[in-house]
Order: sequence, then structure tokens, then C-alpha cells
Amino acid sequence: MSGQGLSPSLETRKPLKSAWNSRGVKHSALGLLMVIPSFLLLLFMIVVPIATSVQESLTGNDGQFTWDHYKYLFTDPAMKANIMYTLNLTVVSSVIVLFIAYLLAVFLRFSTGKLAKWIEKLYYIPMFIPSVIATYGMINMYGNHGWLARIMLHFTDAPFMKILYDYKGLLLANLWFNIPFAAMLLSSALSGIPNAVIESAKDIGAGKIQIFFRIIFPLSFKSMLVAATFVVMGVIGSFTAPFLIGPNAPQVLGVAMQQQFSVYFETGIASACAVFMFAICSLVGYFYIRNMMKDER
Amino acid sequence: MSINRGFKHKGKTLLLTSLAVFTILAGCSSGAGKSDPNASAAGDTAGGSASGQTEIAFYFSGSQNVQELWEHLKEMYEKEQDKVKVKLVYIPSGQGEQATMNRIVAAKRAGKDSVDVDLYEANGGSDMAADKKDGVFESLSEQQIPNLSLMDPVNMKDLNNKAIPYRSSSVLLAYNSEKVPAPPKTLDDLYTWIHEHPGRFAYNDPSTGGSGESFVLTTLYKSLPDDAIHNQDKSIMQQWDQGFEQLKALSKDMYQQGVYPKKNQGTLDLLSNGEVDMVPAWSDMALEQINKKLLPETTKLAQIEPAFTGGPGLLTVPSMSKHKEAAYDFINFVLSPDAQAEVVNKIYGFPGIEWSHMPSELQDKFKGVSVSYRSFNLGELESEAMKRWQREVAGQ
Repeated sequence: MSGQGLSPSLETRKPLKSAWNSRGVKHSALGLLMVIPSFLLLLFMIVVPIATSVQESLTGNDGQFTWDHYKYLFTDPAMKANIMYTLNLTVVSSVIVLFIAYLLAVFLRFSTGKLAKWIEKLYYIPMFIPSVIATYGMINMYGNHGWLARIMLHFTDAPFMKILYDYKGLLLANLWFNIPFAAMLLSSALSGIPNAVIESAKDIGAGKIQIFFRIIFPLSFKSMLVAATFVVMGVIGSFTAPFLIGPNAPQVLGVAMQQQFSVYFETGIASACAVFMFAICSLVGYFYIRNMMKDER
Repeated sequence: MSINRGFKHKGKTLLLTSLAVFTILAGCSSGAGKSDPNASAAGDTAGGSASGQTEIAFYFSGSQNVQELWEHLKEMYEKEQDKVKVKLVYIPSGQGEQATMNRIVAAKRAGKDSVDVDLYEANGGSDMAADKKDGVFESLSEQQIPNLSLMDPVNMKDLNNKAIPYRSSSVLLAYNSEKVPAPPKTLDDLYTWIHEHPGRFAYNDPSTGGSGESFVLTTLYKSLPDDAIHNQDKSIMQQWDQGFEQLKALSKDMYQQGVYPKKNQGTLDLLSNGEVDMVPAWSDMALEQINKKLLPETTKLAQIEPAFTGGPGLLTVPSMSKHKEAAYDFINFVLSPDAQAEVVNKIYGFPGIEWSHMPSELQDKFKGVSVSYRSFNLGELESEAMKRWQREVAGQ
């Protein structure tokens, strides 16, 4: 074993083999070997399923090629309503999530008070709570006879606002699930901005607003994009909360897809739905990757 | 080097010893005629030999009470005889029950000659429709399963002898007796009650659970002839109009003006925390939860006239199973009066065989309890009804 490192220079009669044994090739072979598992995983867990669903979405019941499933997706009034509902929910949730998460991150970065310390310790707790449990928690809290309604009953007799089984409930669930993650990404980006930069800007007379828009925001913009990508993808594919506390109609695409697949057994439509969702996600992903590459150049 | 050799030596000894032990063990076990995999495989192809033990894989799904029932029946059965062992594969309700059926159909379409599902608890509409298309279930008869003679022949005929309704439960009205002194007696009474008590009634989204589905189907078939419920012809769909109008009209007086919770448990939860006063519910689920104090003691059950549609649990034998004889034997046991009594005692279900064959003390105990429910067998129409409900009632 120990002699191998020296052997190439000694065994001059076998140049070919020594080249093969040389460090570079060995390393790249090893590298290839190490990449193979993740490559296979990618192939069989992502590439093949996507290809299958694309194929399935374009195959009719008779096994022939057809666009019918996509036509149904974009012409059926209920399905159209589902799509608009999902897009609306995704955009609104993402914007609110990013806004709140950014405020939270800025607060955590620049505040030194006790409150900030506590928030810093606690804010990511929702990430450790399984979504089913969080959803049932929400039902107990915001339901018609939930905690909030019971507390409110001491002050007013008016029936409590309908939160569950409604757009508001889904919005709330999305905020709960996504703010911690976005805030974590953003605050790590903000903590990467050195104090020295800000102080030197102050020294030459920059105001708070100027500092924010000229220094802090541009420096954290990339992380903002990362956060936006993940939030959009998380919201658009959400299922548990919409299934349990969403309205009966229109539905979020994840729930509609499940229904098409396992209640109506319309695999073609379910696949078309999946491909559509994947297309939206890859569009978001495309902007993200393009921006990353621009930065690297 | 010396260490290495030592290791090798030890390794050799270990290998030899373990081989020896293994051989002795293997010899012992085959001598005793216990479960040697080779022996049992040979036995299966011969249709179950006298010495070999066959293991059948039984895939089923359902709520926890169903799981407990099967564990209990398996124990009873294995105590009774030693030829067949039952491997229970439980898929909790709502966690991809469909996957098993998909596997069976996929194996069939791929041209395989076996599948490791020997017994499958099918779900009425969709699985039987899939069978019609691909013919994946074995036809069953009294020659194979003598106890089939204890059943009402009509039930088997409805299913083309492809599945055995071994138990059933019906959908009933579960209500809070403090708030509802006199529950409705007929469907029309129920509709009136709903209109008079806006927001106090809920049924679950029919595509997510059988009790809501029963409410919807019972309404759709309310004014249709009795045998319409066994009619799988698509032309009958036009006659649903009146029923859908009724459901749409009810919508505004439903819980939160038209909120349909998900799953059977969704409405029971609303009943238990007092958000509504009456829901349609599965008899077995409601009785069990009253017993376990998950529903308040004031909860009572009532059936209306015409009865809500109920549903049977179906046993099927995939035609590609390699252990059919063993599966038949187990089914025969399940249909025996003793096992059927457990269905009644354990999960408050109704027996699949006729009451006259049930143990007499049970007959006495349940005398006067009308087991009336209408079983429905709509096949593919069921999903058509769900689609239309989603579009017209939920999406109105």
C-alpha cells in the first residue's frame, strides 16, 4: 500500500499503467464514482418520474397521443378556477412571507434588545412542527369554537370571522410554514454584511434609508431570490393544510390533483396538472439560476 | 501479517461453524416439517400440501377498528389450524389504499404470472370497475368456499361473484340528543330540519369519505326506483338532476353556509366539539367513538327512511395469487358464524352472512335492530357523481 505513491516514477517500463495510476486520473475516477449515486438518485427520483408524467399527460385512454388532458386543464371552469386560485394564493402568500421575513431579519440583525434575542431563539420553531400537527393546531386555535373565538366571546357577541375552510386560513397556514425558513435564509445573508461597511457609509453622511437601499438590500438581494424560489415552490405544492382546512371549491392544485388521481382515477389529468405545476416551478427556478449565473460572471 | 493470518484463520473457523450450525438447523426444521421456504413453495404449487405451511399476504385498509378486527380474526384462525398463516398488510385509510390495486392491475397488464397479494379488501366502486376492465379478481363459488351458502345470494350476484361482502356497516344520523330531542324520521324531515336549523348540519366532502358520499347518493337516488341503485348504465345520470338541485338548495343552510369538512372524521369532530348538532356517520365509527368517549355521551344514532346507503367490506382474491386455496380457506373461516360474531362484537359491524346463521344470543341481542341500509353498487358512476358534486354543489 505505502509504496504505491512512488511506484510510477520507478516502473519506467510501463508508462501506460503509470499514467493510469497517476493521481489526477485516479482522483477523477474516484470523483466519478462518488457522483454516480447522486446521479442515479437524480435520474430515478426526478428525471424518470417527470418524463413519465409528461408521457402520461399526453396519452389518452386509448393509448394514443392527445392534448385533451391539457385542454381540460385550461378549459374546464372548475379546473380554471383552481389554477387561478392557486396562482393567486401563491403570489399573495409569497409576497407577504418575504415582506414579513425580511422585516424580521432586518430587526434581528440590527436590534440588540432582549426581545430580538428571544425572537432569534424561537422564530424557527414552526419548522420543526409537522404540518399535520400544525394544521390541527390551527383548527383548534382558529376554528368556530376554537381558542380565539372563545377568548373573543368575552368581548363581543358577534360571530367570529371565518378563517378556516377559507382563503384566509390557507394564507395563514402558508405564512406559518414559510416565514421561519425565509427569515432564516435572509438573516444569515444580513449577518454577512459587515458592520464596517455600514459604519463607513454613515461616516460619509448616508441616511438610514440610503443605507438600506444602497447597501443592505442589494447585498441581500441574492438571498431574497433564493428565499422567494423556495417559498413559491413550497406554497404551490402544499397539500396537507389545503386538504384539511381549505375550501371545497375552488381548490388548491395539489388537492385537485389528488382528487383527480385517487377519486376520479383520471391519471392523465392528474399528470397534466403535475406537469403544469412543474413548469411553473421550473420557470421560477430559471429566473433564479439566471440571476445566480449573472452574478458569477 | 501474523494478525492478518490470525483473522483469516478465525474467519474460516467461524464460517465453517456457522455453516455446520446452519445445516443442522435446516435439517432439523425440514425434518419437523416446519416452515422451510422451499417446502412451502413446493406445497403451494401443488395446491397446499399436507406438511407445508402456506403464508398468504392479505392487503387491507380502513380505520383502526378494521385493523384490530383483522388482527383478532387472524389470531383466531391461526389457532384453529396450522396449515395457513396470514400475513396482514395494513394500509391506514387515506394513505394510498389505491396503491395495492394499482399494483395488482399493473402486474396483470405487464403480463406477470404472479403477484404477492393473495387476498385483498377491495373498495366497492372503483376496484370493481377496474376488475371489469382488466379482470384481475378470481370468480368465487361455493365449491371453493362452502360458507358462501350462508350468505344472501343476491349480495354475491351484485358483485358478479368476484367479491365477498363479508361485513357491512351502514350510515346513520349521529346527533346530539341534548340539542335534538326528536331526530328526523325521513329524508324529507331531515331536509326540513336542516333548513330550520341553519349551520347545524354537516356532511363531509363525499370524495373523501363514505358517510358524506352516502348522504349525497341517498339524496340523488331518493326519488328513483329501488333497483336504480344497482344500475350502472350511464343513462341514469340524467335522473340525478333533481337530487343535485336538492343538494344545492341545502348548501346555504349547511355548516358555515356550505363547508364540507374532509373525511368521515371531519364531521364527527364538528359534532364532538359542538359546532354542529347532526351529521351522517358510519355506524361502526360512531359507536366505537361513543364507547371510547371520543364523542359525548349525549350522542345518539338514528336511521331514517329510506335508509342511507351503507356499504360492505369486500374480500377479493387476485387471480394471479399463487396461494388461492389457502386464501379460500381463510375466507371460509371469516364467513363462519363464529368469526362473523366478532364482526358484530368488535367493530359493531353487520354480519356478511344472514342473521339466521348467526349465534342465537346475538340474534336475540340484535332483535328489532333494523339492519336496513341500501347497499349501492354504482361502479364508475360513483366518480361521475363525485365530479358533478364538486362542480355543482361545492363550486356553486
